[in-house]
Amino acid sequence: MGGSSIGEGTLSLGDFVASAKALIEKWKVIDVEDSLPDWQWKPCGKTGVPSEEEGYLALEGVYRNPGGRHAQSSSESVHIYDYHVVYSFSYKVPVLYFQGHQAGGQLLTLDEIKEDLPSHSLKLLGESKWTFITREEHPHFSRPWFTLHPCGTSDCMKLLLEGVENKDQHVQYLPAWLSVVGQAVGLKIPLELYEMHHVSWKPGNN
Amino acid sequence: MAAVAAEQKKVVVHFRSTGNAPQLKQSKFKIGGNEKFLKIIDFLRRQIHQDTVFLYVNSAFSPNPDELIIDLYNNFGIDGQLVVNYASSMAWG
Repeated sequence: MGGSSIGEGTLSLGDFVASAKALIEKWKVIDVEDSLPDWQWKPCGKTGVPSEEEGYLALEGVYRNPGGRHAQSSSESVHIYDYHVVYSFSYKVPVLYFQGHQAGGQLLTLDEIKEDLPSHSLKLLGESKWTFITREEHPHFSRPWFTLHPCGTSDCMKLLLEGVENKDQHVQYLPAWLSVVGQAVGLKIPLELYEMHHVSWKPGNN
Repeated sequence: MAAVAAEQKKVVVHFRSTGNAPQLKQSKFKIGGNEKFLKIIDFLRRQIHQDTVFLYVNSAFSPNPDELIIDLYNNFGIDGQLVVNYASSMAWG
């Protein structure tokens, strides 16, 4: 698989699928706090033909109590989030789609979602163009989901992965990417996801 | 007991600029380990007089502002210091 494109911060569909599967396995092994669910690979053949490479990565059923209100005080105040990671053929990067709903199933508005974000995430959203949240049609459903604009993704991935050995880059792509988009949407990624990799770092020129 | 030790521990943070980010005259600072990574972000912003800055560590991730500095140091520190790379995010988009 082409490691060259990862050097530019983008990745091929094959690398995306490989990185997704590596993430699913690693996530199962590490001790995930706050009882986060497992990531799953959802095959999704648009053409009707089941394909190993058509699909997306999903983390569904993440519970949140908004705005630091007393936890478990009321089931009505619980917000439940679904996060989907879909490969973008136009940008050649993963794109995050997400939606939140109340326990009763009613979808959350952007203002309600913002209640769940820590203040630094709101600040980040205010100042970073690429993390701007919009509503767009989910590529695999005909319904609008919230999404983070991917235009700055490759620049930031290039920085994150420049010290990583080529053979490890596709595996580390999604964890690295999650560390950034997770901050924007208030999804805290366990540190353990990054632990085994740091030995492979080689100092740069300076 | 572990919590007490964490409070007293100071961590050496080594800032490294990448790309077109301004360099610091002094690149190493001691910061309390019980502080959150947000403290490092705010500190750097003041040092380089820029609000939009992208920080990341060599283990290929950008730490959440809520992470404790001591946790980052214990897991990802090398040679007694936590290396924090930063890039000016003005160049994006």
